[in-house]
Amino acid sequence: MRLSDIMGHADLATWAERGLVIFLVVFGVVALITLFRRDREAMDAAAATPLQDGTLNEEQATRQSGARE
Amino acid sequence: MEQRIERFRYDDAVVRLFTGATVIWGIVGMLVGVIIAFQLFMPQLSFNLPWLTFGRLRPLHTNAVIFAFAGNAIFAGMYYSTQRLLKARMFSDLLSKIHFWGWQLIIVSAAITLPLGITQSKEYAELEWPIDIAVALIWVVFAINFFGTMAKRRERHLYVAIWFYIATIIAIAILYIFNNLALPALMFKSYSLYAGVQDAFMQWWYGHNAVAFFLTTPFLGLMYYFLPKAADRPVYSYKLSILHFWSLVFIYIWAGPHHLHYTALPEWASTLGMLFSLMLWMPSWGGMINGLLTLRGRWDRVAADPVLKFFVVAVTFYGMSTFEGPMLSIKSVNSLSHYTDWTIAHVHSGALGWNGFLAFGMVYWLLPRLYKTGKVWSHKMMELHFWLGTVGILLYIVAIYSAGVTQGLMWRAFDATGRLAYPDFVETVMQLMPMYMVRALGGILYITGAILAGVNMIMTMRMAPAKLEDPEAEAPALIGDGSELDPPREGRGAIAWTTSLAWHRIWERKGVLFTVWVAISVATASLFEIIPTFLIKSNVPTIASVKPYTPLENYGRDLYVAEGCYNCHSQMIRPMRHETERYGEYSKPGEFVYDRPFQWGSRRIGPDLHRIGGKYPHLWHVRHMEEPRSTTPQSIMPPYPWLAENDIDYETIQPRIDALLMLGVPYGDVVNNAEQVARDQAKQIADEIVAQGGPDLADKDIVALIAYLQRLGTDIHSGDTAGR
Repeated sequence: MRLSDIMGHADLATWAERGLVIFLVVFGVVALITLFRRDREAMDAAAATPLQDGTLNEEQATRQSGARE
Repeated sequence: MEQRIERFRYDDAVVRLFTGATVIWGIVGMLVGVIIAFQLFMPQLSFNLPWLTFGRLRPLHTNAVIFAFAGNAIFAGMYYSTQRLLKARMFSDLLSKIHFWGWQLIIVSAAITLPLGITQSKEYAELEWPIDIAVALIWVVFAINFFGTMAKRRERHLYVAIWFYIATIIAIAILYIFNNLALPALMFKSYSLYAGVQDAFMQWWYGHNAVAFFLTTPFLGLMYYFLPKAADRPVYSYKLSILHFWSLVFIYIWAGPHHLHYTALPEWASTLGMLFSLMLWMPSWGGMINGLLTLRGRWDRVAADPVLKFFVVAVTFYGMSTFEGPMLSIKSVNSLSHYTDWTIAHVHSGALGWNGFLAFGMVYWLLPRLYKTGKVWSHKMMELHFWLGTVGILLYIVAIYSAGVTQGLMWRAFDATGRLAYPDFVETVMQLMPMYMVRALGGILYITGAILAGVNMIMTMRMAPAKLEDPEAEAPALIGDGSELDPPREGRGAIAWTTSLAWHRIWERKGVLFTVWVAISVATASLFEIIPTFLIKSNVPTIASVKPYTPLENYGRDLYVAEGCYNCHSQMIRPMRHETERYGEYSKPGEFVYDRPFQWGSRRIGPDLHRIGGKYPHLWHVRHMEEPRSTTPQSIMPPYPWLAENDIDYETIQPRIDALLMLGVPYGDVVNNAEQVARDQAKQIADEIVAQGGPDLADKDIVALIAYLQRLGTDIHSGDTAGR
């Protein structure tokens, strides 16, 4: 039996449907986990990374993005 | 060990270049879009010029907006944020310059070749092989520059924006190379390595993921950097960003086949594409929620700050588009929406709303920083741009949603006697004219906003000091591998360790490992779909009567490709009663085994042509190409008079056949005298045109095109293919 025969009889569409159910369950669980804010300090520090870019004198010039007229 | 503080400068010169190119190419790309929007209700706007037809300009519009406007915006944002997130100047200033100028050269090449009809005809991958090679080389330059910067970084952990950039670089390289594999036949003509169903599959694996990894992941990276910066708030949930990233990168790549529902693509692949598209709902909305909630506590600023307004609308459109995309992938919905303007509306809600507004918001945020002006020249002009753009998008998409649903319903409508209610295709087109006009108005508003952005940018540049120095920064040099920063594992069980996502923090400091995981995610999904598509014989049952195109028909097919006919005409009759009643027997996978590239199309501005062969006499086609309204009074197709003027280039016929032969097309004896076979067939058709009362068109391009059109869809009805 050749690989193409095996794949031809694998009924691939049903695997996608099973995959959807598995994904829904896994995603739901993982999403709930994100609500448990363990390691909050480390995660909050990581979330603030863009705000600390090391520039010495850039932000003072443009704290606000637009001019006021 | 004491850490040494290092001072260094960011390279903002290249960011300024990319930012300027973003606005300039944005205006150009949108202008072409407005022109072709007008052509849909004023076809005379092609002025009988080959390079101004809808079929040639539409790819120019899509390529300009995607690769020139969005591409330059991506690079501007990536160069700015990557340096700051990694606390390092770009790896090489020279590579940055090569990247910028090389990319602009590619854009100019596209702007010249596409209107000349030099195209592969694969949507968003139209550029011919020499330009494809240039794209690949420049992409490698960009990748070396990016990963080189990662290697010399001073920030231990890679922030989420960097993950999205990594995914973009890896995935686009894979997608672009494999979809564009082709054998050159001439200097600007190649044939795809794939044929028919497999070519269609590869194209939409690429086409869908070009949206995913060129218009989504890099823009999400920009969102994760510039939105917190503009709001002066950290991103809402870092854990959610981890979830968003990995689920998006893993799932997106599977969804391509949803572009081919009810076509000759195998049913399993279609179903797989639909289900993975549905899965995409969750990570996409996770990202949208993460973006909008980043503004918590800052909503008061949104009213006063145009940058935040642009960002809020952009993220909202991201949510709307990523809701609509999976919805359109559901087969029953897709059966109505496919080939209609509904898809065009969906694309533009994403492109104008999500990509466009995020890009313009980012440009406005960057301008005062890049030019040290402290402010953008005109706040009021930014506000006006925002409102013109918003109203423009709404006019555009509401009109085109209406057009899509209207035409889709008209196509499938039957009257009380069981006949098609609108058997004449052009009837369904005429109904759309008011909506096309509103769409053009929306486009004008949107491009007016973009022009205002250009004016604002120029005036802001004029406020800049005479000498712009690169900004200085400082950060401690990295020492060791940083493992001392890893979250402690002791005392945590496997579940606690896993659910804390602390392990991900370890990945984030290991750039190579992270990149490998991204590559595995993208490649795994691709291979799970591609391998069965190519391996399972039953996917493309062969049909004995389907034979290769004759040399003349193949030449005519190349003209069909060059004129971009696929932009308005499909060659795929779906197995639905309203389609078979209108066009004839539904299309079979085995009918396309010699189609390189496939020409199934994605939009029917005109009718499907798969069974056009033998439907009309040759002379009808001559008259139709010369002036479409002479045969179909309400047609919006442009005239193609040059087809009756240009001579067939017989000298190029043999190399074309040689290339196809190398790809495995069984040409038999024809291979040794392709040119003479073509001349004989051309004479026969030209004589028949004269016999039907037409002009003498011997050796003119139109004869080859007619040869191709008359062949289309006829093989399954003919056991007798002798003489071909």
